[in-house]
Amino acid sequence: MAISLDRSIVGVEFDRTVCEPVTETEIRTYSAISGDPLPPSPGGGALVAAPTFVVSVRGKKFMPPKLPNLGAAGFDAGKDIEFGEPIHPGDVLTVVSTVHDVYEKTGRSGTMAFLVLRAVITNQRGDQVAVIDQKMMFR
Amino acid sequence: MILDLHTHSEASEDSRAPVEAYLKWLVRKRSILPIDGIVLTEHRQWSQRVDYRSLEDQYGLLILRGAEVETDYGHILVYGVNDRITERFDFTNVRLSAQELVPAVTEMGGIALPCHPGRPTIGLYEHYATKPPIEGVVAVEALNGGSRRGENERVHELIERHGYRAFGGSDSHLVSLIGVCATEFDCGIRTTDDLVAALFRGGYRPVDFRDRLRTAA
Repeated sequence: MAISLDRSIVGVEFDRTVCEPVTETEIRTYSAISGDPLPPSPGGGALVAAPTFVVSVRGKKFMPPKLPNLGAAGFDAGKDIEFGEPIHPGDVLTVVSTVHDVYEKTGRSGTMAFLVLRAVITNQRGDQVAVIDQKMMFR
Repeated sequence: MILDLHTHSEASEDSRAPVEAYLKWLVRKRSILPIDGIVLTEHRQWSQRVDYRSLEDQYGLLILRGAEVETDYGHILVYGVNDRITERFDFTNVRLSAQELVPAVTEMGGIALPCHPGRPTIGLYEHYATKPPIEGVVAVEALNGGSRRGENERVHELIERHGYRAFGGSDSHLVSLIGVCATEFDCGIRTTDDLVAALFRGGYRPVDFRDRLRTAA
């Protein structure tokens, strides 16, 4: 199947979600299930979420509604996370999702297309909590 | 002089290795890996703005740059990249014509050499089974640190049949793999122009440090 690398979608914002306030239960449950331990609270203050808690924070739409024809099959090709401010109970997080990149590469098994979806997560003060680049591979 | 001619830093989308971490590793492993410098060959890209001179001074290692591009004959390393080359060829295009690229790069002052030629799909060996040889190739990467069993071995047939010279590179995407395979030159190299001239002239060979690393571990 011929793929289409229409780069006009790069930079397009396809979702902006303001999440419900983060709860202490969510933070503790995430750590218990994932095994990523709770970091110490500075000065014994508010609970701090495990750094990877950010991967559980999602917008309403995972993919842009209109994708170029990148291939018949796609799968998760990993994510890069840039960590920012810590997350505490009560934080109201906003997730803004954009198409960050689309590109092709060739490897032993042939030609692949990659779609990189970037989620920028901020808290109620506008501080950046995380930037997550989610790669999807298509062929 | 020994240079690792094929390396990827975090500028490539599939590598997580900072350039400085490579240099720290080479300094730490100097008794086992006698590498004098590296050539960064990032995937499908070239940036004129990058400058590693302060790192070179700090660590006493040569850092040169090239690019790894993708063609209808597999992947090709381009050394001596300049504005003329990048204006003519879109490095993000994974379907570049190798028959056009190799002689044109030479004409514009660089050199284009196929890498990991024994690798399926993206190596020269497989393409030569169905297509004519690329005009103007003078050397191939006979030793690639990322190749699987049997892939480097297939290259000897290409070298014998076409009279290519041989060089080596680690194809490192991780810090601990830098310098595991490299190229030993009879002459000194200080600049990209020196490297291009030496690769055309000959007087170099691939060197493999993997056994030495295993023994030292």
